[in-house]
Amino acid sequence: MGIQGDFYKLLKEQGYVFGVSGQAGARQELTTATTILAFKYREGVLVAGDRRATAGNMVMYDRTDKVLEIDQHSVMAIAGVPATAYEMARILEHSFKYYRRTQLQELSFEGKLRALSKLLKENVAAALAGTGAVAPIFAGYDAGQEAAKIYFYDILGAEFEGVEYAVSGSGSSTIRGILHYLNTWGEQPLSTMPEEQATVQALRLLTSAAEFDSATGGVNRDAGLYPVIKFITAGGVRAMPDLQLRSLFESRVARSV
Amino acid sequence: MYEEPYRWVEAVGNRRQYLDDQLKEGTPVVGVAYEHGILLMTMSKGTPKLYEIYDRLALGGMGHPADLEKLRFNLLEMAHVEGFNRSASDVTGSRLVKYGIAPVIKQAFEEVFKAPFIVKILLAELSQKAGRDGFLTINYDGTFEEKSRCAVLAATSVVEQRMIGYVRQQSIVSLKDAVGAAIRTWAIGDRAQRSALEDGEGHNEAMIDTTEQVTDAETLYAHVRRCIAEKTMECALLDRQVQGPSKYRALEADELEAVLPTDLNPSLS
Repeated sequence: MGIQGDFYKLLKEQGYVFGVSGQAGARQELTTATTILAFKYREGVLVAGDRRATAGNMVMYDRTDKVLEIDQHSVMAIAGVPATAYEMARILEHSFKYYRRTQLQELSFEGKLRALSKLLKENVAAALAGTGAVAPIFAGYDAGQEAAKIYFYDILGAEFEGVEYAVSGSGSSTIRGILHYLNTWGEQPLSTMPEEQATVQALRLLTSAAEFDSATGGVNRDAGLYPVIKFITAGGVRAMPDLQLRSLFESRVARSV
Repeated sequence: MYEEPYRWVEAVGNRRQYLDDQLKEGTPVVGVAYEHGILLMTMSKGTPKLYEIYDRLALGGMGHPADLEKLRFNLLEMAHVEGFNRSASDVTGSRLVKYGIAPVIKQAFEEVFKAPFIVKILLAELSQKAGRDGFLTINYDGTFEEKSRCAVLAATSVVEQRMIGYVRQQSIVSLKDAVGAAIRTWAIGDRAQRSALEDGEGHNEAMIDTTEQVTDAETLYAHVRRCIAEKTMECALLDRQVQGPSKYRALEADELEAVLPTDLNPSLS
C-alpha cells in the first residue's frame, strides 16, 4: 500500500471525473476573459484581478472573484473559463487540506505547484477544444525557502516562475509592457515598494488594462466595485478591504485617469 | 463452533474482556467547551492522540495506534469527499459517526473471526454559534453517545463517569479555565486507572467505585507533575477566533505555558 494522502486520487476512486474531453467545433460563446497580475513587493507578493466575466461581447457578471485563496499561504488567480478554474481551485483547496490532515504536515510549495500542473494537464483536451482553457497564476509563501513566490502556467500545464512579476488573461498584454517599464526604469523596482504604493500601482495597472481590453472590468465607483487585491506574506494571505481600495483609488488613481 | 447463539454470545463476551484489558493502560482524553471554542487535552508518549479531521471537527483517541490511524483515515476520507461534493456545512460529526465509522466498528467487534478495533474515539464539533458545540464518543463496540459542554475517554465507563462528574462541576469560561479543568479531570481519570491497575488481576469495576475520589487541585497537579516526566501534554483547539474556514490548531508551547495553572508551570519549563 502506498502512502495515502492524495485527495485527487481518492476523488477518482469515488467515480469523480475531471477534464472531460471537449468537443471540437462547439461554437457556443463561453464565459471567459480577465486580467490578473502578481508582483513582488517589499513584504511579499501582491496578487490582483479585475472582476468581469464575459461571454463574447456580453458582460456576464461584474463581481467575479478571480483571486482565490487556496489555503492560508497560497492563492490561485484565474484567467480563462471560470467553471473549470473554480473546479480546479476546489480540488486544490481540498487536496492541500487533505494532505495536511492525513500526513500531519503541510504539502511543500513544490508539491502545490505540481498539483496545479497535474490538473491543467488533465484538462488539456478540453483546453484545446476551447471549452475549458485556464491559464492561472499561482502565488504563495514557500516556507522551505522563506520567500513568497510567483508562478504562471500555460493551458497545457507548463509552469514558469515569475521572478519579479507575472500576468495572464486577455488584458495582460497591455500591462505586461507597463510592468516591465515600471520595474526597470520606474522610480524604484516593484519589489522594494511598500504595501500601499504597490496597491496603487496594481489599481493603475488594472485600470489601464480595462482601458484597452473590453473583457476586463475597470473600477465602477457608483456600484462600489473595485478589483480584488490580496497579499501573501510570511503571515499568510490577506485581502485589502474595499474601503481602503476606494480611498486609495480616489486619492491616487482617479485624478490621473 | 460459533454457529450456536450461546457460543457467539460467549465469544463476544470474551472479546469485551480482551478489549477492556487492552485499553486499561491507555491515557484518558478530555474535551471541554469554553467561550471561544473547544479544548481537547491528553498526555501522550510520542505518538500524538489529537488530530484535525475537518474545518470544525477534531478527534481524540485512545487505544491501538494502528487502529486509530485506520479510523482517522476513514473519517478524513468521508469528510473531505462530502465537503468537496456538497459543502463544508454538510460535513457533520453526527453523520460521520452514525453512518460512517460507528457501523464499521460495530461490525468489526461482532465478527468474532476478525480482529476488532482496539480503540475509543472522541469527536469534537465546533458549531457556528457559541454554546452549541458538541461531542460524540464511540466505544470499541460501536456504541456512540452525543454530549454537549464536555466529554471524556477513559479505560472504563466507571472512570469516565467520575471524570464527567468532576468536569461538569467546574466553571469554564476562558481558555485558562478550560486548560485547568481539563488537566485536573485528566488526572482524576489517570489516577483511577492506575490504582485499578495496581489492584491487579482480581480487580473489577465495582472496586474502583469504592476507592476514595480525590478532587483537590494540589494532589491532582502533583500527579500531573509526575506524569510530565515521562509523557508530553497535548492540547488542541477548535478555535472560533481563527480566521478562515479551518478552526483547528494545536496549542503551542509558549501559549500553553501562559494558560497553565501556576502549580504546573515550573514543571514544564
